[in-house]
Amino acid sequence: MIAIKADNLSRTYTGEGAPVKVFSHLSFEVPAGTFAAVMGPSGVGKSTLLHLIGGIDRPDEGRVEVFGQAIDELPPRLRARFRNEKIGFVFQFHHLLPEFTAEENVAMPHRIAGVPKSEALRMAGEILARVGLADRRAHGARALSGGEQQRVAIARALARGPGLLLADEPTGNLDAASAQAVFDLLRELHAERGMTTILVTHNPDLARRCDRLFTMTREGIAAAQGLSERG
Amino acid sequence: MRFETSIALRYLAASRRRAHVALIATISIVGLAVGVAALVVSLALLSGFQDRIRRQMAERTAHLTVSPERGVLLPDPEAARRALAALPGVRSIVPILEGRGWASDVDGTSTYPVRFRTRAGGGSGEAAAPDDASLARPLASRLRVAEDGLVRLTSSRTRLSPVGPIPVSAVLRVAQIRRSSAFENTAEIEVSEETARILTGVPGGAHSLEAVLDDPERAEAAARQLAAKLPAGYRVATWRERNAPLAFALRLEKVVIFVTVALVIVVAALNIVSNIALTVVEKKRDLGVLTAMGAAPGSLLRIYLTLGAIIGSLGTAAGVALGVGISAAADRFHLVPLPADVYMLTHVPFAIHPGEVAACAAFALATAVAAAVLPARAASRLAPGEAIRLSR
Repeated sequence: MIAIKADNLSRTYTGEGAPVKVFSHLSFEVPAGTFAAVMGPSGVGKSTLLHLIGGIDRPDEGRVEVFGQAIDELPPRLRARFRNEKIGFVFQFHHLLPEFTAEENVAMPHRIAGVPKSEALRMAGEILARVGLADRRAHGARALSGGEQQRVAIARALARGPGLLLADEPTGNLDAASAQAVFDLLRELHAERGMTTILVTHNPDLARRCDRLFTMTREGIAAAQGLSERG
Repeated sequence: MRFETSIALRYLAASRRRAHVALIATISIVGLAVGVAALVVSLALLSGFQDRIRRQMAERTAHLTVSPERGVLLPDPEAARRALAALPGVRSIVPILEGRGWASDVDGTSTYPVRFRTRAGGGSGEAAAPDDASLARPLASRLRVAEDGLVRLTSSRTRLSPVGPIPVSAVLRVAQIRRSSAFENTAEIEVSEETARILTGVPGGAHSLEAVLDDPERAEAAARQLAAKLPAGYRVATWRERNAPLAFALRLEKVVIFVTVALVIVVAALNIVSNIALTVVEKKRDLGVLTAMGAAPGSLLRIYLTLGAIIGSLGTAAGVALGVGISAAADRFHLVPLPADVYMLTHVPFAIHPGEVAACAAFALATAVAAAVLPARAASRLAPGEAIRLSR
């Protein structure tokens, strides 16, 4: 089964200055259950690609399907629900909501889905325990270390049990030990939950440990088998 | 509690840590509170005066009037009186005769055209001698007469005498000098029924009948009952109908004051616009993250509308408390005195009408939410990917 199918994707940013072409005519497929890494130089459009896959940005051309659904073609409400149920995002700078505790941050996707607060907090507590932060649940986002914040962000991304996890340089802002711990956690959770994971990273060591490696350049995207597939 | 409300509450609570947002939020709340308080106090002040006017109107004027539909005399005054008397809650019924003439002091040095009529049922109606008269204060001043003094009232009607037609006149004792006010639709001189009959030349019957009710608020219902009982040829009017222009003026006055003072609330609401717009800009990244988590554009809109409603509620609640407190204290402790010899009141009265306070609160709240619409719509239309990308 194909988890992601991108066909002829192009994206150009138009702002105050001249238009900036990020990439054009990208096509690739990611089979379900793959733990894939995306590498490439800065500015080549790795984050933009994740945003297009996750439906929080729109391509200028082309089409992207997630689990057979062209997310861009859904009306706003259904697109939001699809994201809530099927896709989890982890960002480089964790992007936790600073006004809320770790537990409340993780409960937020459930609250958005309409789950009652007490039930949402209970489920958030379970997944926080899974990422090793049971004792930090009541701490405010600002009171956590960088590694803890990223683990909370991972817990939040997985709160609704998505089939697809999009992680945009989740280790990019961490020291080597924390980065290793976060990567290991992602790898474990990926295996436990049988989901598809796309990891954008600049770390070739981590990338090599993924099932599949996509390398983005100005010219396009090239897929290669990762270390795990090569055995 | 919906998650949108949780987020809006946290944004407001957390604004304490962001000095500029906290300042604008405080200004928004205080501005709204001052506006609401000003509106509540203004309306309480106006209601205080207007309630007095209405109360005096109800006390001094007859509550029901039966007059002929055509001509000047009632077709069958006795039948009309019986119909009136049969109504529940009728306290008194007075036949009314009225006419025009001239009032002068007994020396004849000052003469003024006046309207006269029988003593009204609603007002100063204690039993009086046939030659007693009640004068409006301005007329008494012009004639320079005091209570127990004498005035000559000459009717415009004449009677034939051996020397030709001569005017009919009567010398009357000034039994009472009335304070008069703009809302009193009474004649300058009120006389006894006997005197009125002589001056008008109407030996029987009446120009109209006036009735006073135990409860003036029942006047409309009583008028409907009476109109159903009376045959054709009679017109029934309530005290409210007869004073409709004044009542309209009072209502208009209140509307004008409301609209004028409510502008303070509108100006205060502009602070809410800037407060919420600032929060939208500051929380742009959060909006993108919430969208990534599955929040729909409508939810983002609701977050900021709720924020506007919370700021509006706080400002409105403070304003209502302040306004009601000031009005109640001013009325209870007579904080605004008036010279009693100039005005009929010793202090400025304040009356708090719950309906008016509710209208002020509803207007303020609606304005606050309306002020949040523009920035909230901007938040809901934000491109989430761009919000995250640009906030790294």
